[in-house]
Amino acid sequence: MLELWLRYRKYSLLLLVVVAAFSLLTFQRARPGEGLWLAEGVAAVTAPIQMAFARVHRGAADLWTTYVDWKGLRADLARLRAEVTALRLRQLRQDELDAENGRLRSFLTLRERLPAGAIAAEVVAREWNGFTRGLTIDRGRADGVERLAPVIVTQGVVGRVAGLRRGSAVVQLLTDPASSIGAVVNRSRAQGLAEGVTGGKLRLKLAASEEGVWVGDRVFTSGISGLFPKGLPLGRVVRVFPPTGLFRLAELEPAVQLATVEEVLVLSRGVTADLSPAFPDT
Amino acid sequence: MRVPLYFLAVSGGTLVQSTVVPVIAVGGVVPDVLVILVVLLGLRRGPEAGCLIGFALGLAQDVVAGGPLGLHALSKAVIGFVAGNLPHWFLVWKPGVAVVAVALATLADGALRFALLQLFHYPAPFGELLTGVILPQAGYNGLLAALVVAVPTVRARV
Repeated sequence: MLELWLRYRKYSLLLLVVVAAFSLLTFQRARPGEGLWLAEGVAAVTAPIQMAFARVHRGAADLWTTYVDWKGLRADLARLRAEVTALRLRQLRQDELDAENGRLRSFLTLRERLPAGAIAAEVVAREWNGFTRGLTIDRGRADGVERLAPVIVTQGVVGRVAGLRRGSAVVQLLTDPASSIGAVVNRSRAQGLAEGVTGGKLRLKLAASEEGVWVGDRVFTSGISGLFPKGLPLGRVVRVFPPTGLFRLAELEPAVQLATVEEVLVLSRGVTADLSPAFPDT
Repeated sequence: MRVPLYFLAVSGGTLVQSTVVPVIAVGGVVPDVLVILVVLLGLRRGPEAGCLIGFALGLAQDVVAGGPLGLHALSKAVIGFVAGNLPHWFLVWKPGVAVVAVALATLADGALRFALLQLFHYPAPFGELLTGVILPQAGYNGLLAALVVAVPTVRARV
């Protein structure tokens, strides 16, 4: 028997192994649930090692996931930044349109309140040096603009047309040192002149005999010179100087933010009506 | 002298199969590196070593996988035995033989296990199992075997 085994050793071994495996399978089929002691013994050895491997694997997977998430976050961040920039630009454009819409709406309202026809114009350039202060508008002689015509916005006087061309006009601002407009203090009805001062300020010059002027008084065009209609807002008194000789002087804050004017209305010359009802807010 | 090597092969192979291999699955196809191990060892060490190592590896795989004990043990023992006899039958030893042997052994392993599982009324049809599991696994195993065989060959030439 032993000789036979040794002679056919490899086939005998195969037979032994096959029989062992079949025996295991048959035993389990006949008695399901039993014979698990071998499995438990092997698992007791392999389970801790398997768990360690699993931990390492999970750690590597977590690291990879974190890296992928981080890359995703970076991409999201770049995309969101671009979106924020685009939205801000859109918002700025929207704000600009809203502001323009508001200005034009108030212009329309003012134009309806004015008795005579007014020409709407857009500011296309600014002359803003220390000597002269002016604006260039996109309406000129061809549009019916007249020389020395008053230029206003919804808050009050901007200036007058000083230079006229075919398709454009230069507006001398009321703060130009060469500008002088007949003015009246609303509270006391004291008459004087609103003059431009070097440096872009506005000054009210009253005769010393006129009644006093107070800080906060509102000043309007008097209409006396005939160039500006009566009742257009000029500004508000912010400082009163002590009387000197023949004159009493006060510093005015212009009713119009001249630096930000973008659209104007050019009035016709020779309007004599009181236009103060057209400026109810002032 | 060889016993520690076999022990290392059995324990290391089982651990690699149950921990590392699932990570390298491609499209749900998981290679069976134990088949590669059994075939290569069988080719090198002969039918007796192939048979015994196949049985031990298969038994460990049965324990780890949680299936019927003896299932992988029997199939792997048979392929180890057959692989160990290949050099005697064909009288050739080329790297390509090992790659083809691994792919065919994977097919045989799958078919054998399916046959044995009929004892336990395994419900899946063989055609489905062959196209969905066994053939893709045979291809993957063949590729891995080619890598395993190619590395020492290239190194030897260098």
